[in-house]
Amino acid sequence: MARARSRIAGVISVFGELLITAGVLMGLFVVYSLWWTNVLADREADKQGDAVRDSWIADTGPGALDTQGGLGFLHVPAMGGDEVLVKEGTSPDVLNHGVAGYYTDPVKSALPQDRTGNFTLAAHRDGHGAKFHDIHKMKVGDPIVFETKDTWYVYKVYETLPKTSRFNVDVLQPVPKESGKTKPGRYITLTTCTPILTSDFRYIVWGELVRTEKVDHERTRPAELR
Amino acid sequence: MYGWIWRHLPGNAWVRGLISLVLALGVVFLLFQYVFPWAEPLLPFNDVTVDGQ
Repeated sequence: MARARSRIAGVISVFGELLITAGVLMGLFVVYSLWWTNVLADREADKQGDAVRDSWIADTGPGALDTQGGLGFLHVPAMGGDEVLVKEGTSPDVLNHGVAGYYTDPVKSALPQDRTGNFTLAAHRDGHGAKFHDIHKMKVGDPIVFETKDTWYVYKVYETLPKTSRFNVDVLQPVPKESGKTKPGRYITLTTCTPILTSDFRYIVWGELVRTEKVDHERTRPAELR
Repeated sequence: MYGWIWRHLPGNAWVRGLISLVLALGVVFLLFQYVFPWAEPLLPFNDVTVDGQ
């Protein structure tokens, strides 16, 4: 009798330890997702960003674009103002390194220097650098500045879409009708996941090119970033 | 389970405590280095793109 009872107690205690272990595991996963991936991604993004800037200095030819290393840097004062390296593609391999990627699929992104089109970007909301974490702080009229080797592209936000289906690829169209535009123009589209910590929906911010500025020798920042 | 491990560690309480700590850190390292990076893409927490699928 006593032996049977102690066996039951043993089974229950192992079960309890397993539950505690599962809880600790989930807690560690949260730490990993929200902290450790940021550490790794920021480190990697700094390295890649430095490499792009070094290549800009080394290469004095006009307008040469190395899309493998990175196209340029995104500056959004409303999201804290840290520069975000922009690279080609939106696969996890690209985005997990703490950069923003421009779409190649399902709707191919235009590039900033194109005469018309939509420059469409994606980046993480949480973890892996969380470069678009504060996208909800962007309001209509806020500047979005994209810096390439020889040009500052200054965009202004004209529309936001705080919640849409993850299947809504029309937000990436060259003329994004959902934002109210009907004519071709030079647009920029930022996409990330929402609500924070999940990826049930997508958060969209649209901007339109206001002007461009030539980069000078000191890389003087446009007024929006000063 | 943990009691069983504790009883099978050598040395006195201090040595066992130290070994336990090292074991725990080793497990955390394995999780962060191999298990979580593998598990993360399988979980629906961090998809940021719009796509047709």
